[in-house]
Amino acid sequence: MTTPIRGKAHLLGDDINTDMHCSSKYHPGRDNAYVAQHAFDRLVPGFASRFAKGDVIVAGRNFGNNSSREQAVHILRLMGVAGIVSVAFGRQFFRNCINNGLPVVECDLVGIMEGDEIELDLAGGRVTVVARGIVREVPALPAAVQEILAAGGLIPFLKAHPDWKSA
Amino acid sequence: MGHTIAEKILGAHAGGKPARAGEVVVAAVDFAMLHDARASNALKRIADFGSDKLPFASRTAFVLDHYSPPPNQEAANVHREMRAFAGKHGAVLYDIGDGICHQVLPEGGHFTCGDVVVGTDTHSTTYGAFNAFGTGVEGTDLSAVLMTGKLWFRVPETIRVDLNGKLQPGVWAKDLTLHMLGRLGAEGANYRAIEYAGSAVAAMEIDDRMTLSNHAAELGAKAAILEADAKTTAWLKARGAREPKPVKADADARYFQRFEVDASKLPPQVARKHKVDDVVGVNEVKGQRINYALIGTCTNGRLDDMRQAAAILKGRRVAKGVRMIITPASRNVYLQAAREGLIEVLTQAGASVEAAGCGTCVNITGHLITGDGDVVITSANRNFKGRLGNDNSEIFIGSSATVAASALTGHITDPREIEGGTWRPVPKAA
Repeated sequence: MTTPIRGKAHLLGDDINTDMHCSSKYHPGRDNAYVAQHAFDRLVPGFASRFAKGDVIVAGRNFGNNSSREQAVHILRLMGVAGIVSVAFGRQFFRNCINNGLPVVECDLVGIMEGDEIELDLAGGRVTVVARGIVREVPALPAAVQEILAAGGLIPFLKAHPDWKSA
Repeated sequence: MGHTIAEKILGAHAGGKPARAGEVVVAAVDFAMLHDARASNALKRIADFGSDKLPFASRTAFVLDHYSPPPNQEAANVHREMRAFAGKHGAVLYDIGDGICHQVLPEGGHFTCGDVVVGTDTHSTTYGAFNAFGTGVEGTDLSAVLMTGKLWFRVPETIRVDLNGKLQPGVWAKDLTLHMLGRLGAEGANYRAIEYAGSAVAAMEIDDRMTLSNHAAELGAKAAILEADAKTTAWLKARGAREPKPVKADADARYFQRFEVDASKLPPQVARKHKVDDVVGVNEVKGQRINYALIGTCTNGRLDDMRQAAAILKGRRVAKGVRMIITPASRNVYLQAAREGLIEVLTQAGASVEAAGCGTCVNITGHLITGDGDVVITSANRNFKGRLGNDNSEIFIGSSATVAASALTGHITDPREIEGGTWRPVPKAA
């Protein structure tokens, strides 16, 4: 249903609050396009400028913790983030990603390095870094979540499926 | 293998049979809440969708509480948009001064035991105090509920906490939840639901039970659900809620983690500056001078909080140099506090009593900004650096009794050592 995502890995640390590092909270009055050029700069200088469309964020544990602002995910989409891999996500951040069509994968990160070519297979439940011989099985995202991601987010999904079935 | 309360409620709303932790279900929602700080985002999603039909609007409350009063034109315009939208689509409107979302929803009898309730504020876990599955969501989620009456949920694993023993007089649910934060850490229950049970919960009045479920948001919990008893059902029925059908966990439910806390040994707890999970017994911070004493918020702005403060401050004055601000959680709380003479006692003691709303919880409205070096003790839920508009001030968290005792002396004080500090509500026959 969903085709595998391939991109370059950009590493971020543990417990990153996306309200603080990827929203206008600390760029008052600035629009999303401006924040997208400066996101995470206070943690990793130049992060946003090195990030190319289609690349992947590989973040430490609890990425997006304590940060419920949906704006963070709108900005990540503007940056062209194709997917995020983390040991575990902040709860509302995880929801916001799915609802905005941004694939999120929970996976052990040991051995994955900055700049690695990484592949996320959501349907198959696999994270691969060929160059390092890393192949990790992860729980496949539930079908209901994959459908929302495939549609590009919850709003486009509902447009296509007005009869959203309880299941 | 049996089921937890969360598994039963979500399953019952998604086809009938209990769900299992880890599954994703599309569940029918019973009631929804949209507050002003997230309204723009949700209403924009509805515009993106292009639908003018919002069948769930009559079961959604629009609450104007965070920007009360609005600090700028943008916030005032959000309020105008919410009022117009609620009027057009028939949503329930709670305007400035009516109170905080998590207080007005239960007071309004909008949901009952076993319901699924979602709100755009993190502290929507509060509804768990009434045996409902209450959880916080964002704008896209809420717009989907308005349009379809449904939402997807990953069914959470549950941490079961048995709170046994009798809380000492002067020790409150707030102290228990602070203890939980010290034990599990902030976000220590991320993704999980919590079930609180045990004799200490049974002995609590509804006000205190709401604190228990509310403050679980700082633990990262998706929900914090209590079993219902006669107190719960009587409270809900008195406010016109639908017939409560309590949901119990099975004796052989599968829990992620289970432990017991002996409530009888717990002294008053305080979270030290900047970190909600840096929690110590009040003795360890005793004597810390304070400049501000704040009582209010969705965590501790209820009638029993006002009563705790009044029992300590009756006929006395807050210490020189201390500014005390009290914000009732709702217009109903304010009115009842006035009827009981609490507003007079507190005002005479030197406190300022504000109109109901989110008040001094966070510097959104700009009506409380601390100065360099100011130290605050508050009954609120968060104490992050800069939360009251100044990175060079410090915020400590304690129960309303601890806040009032500290206001009286001018430094952090164990309420049990102050006359009136061991006040307790007299349980009403159910």
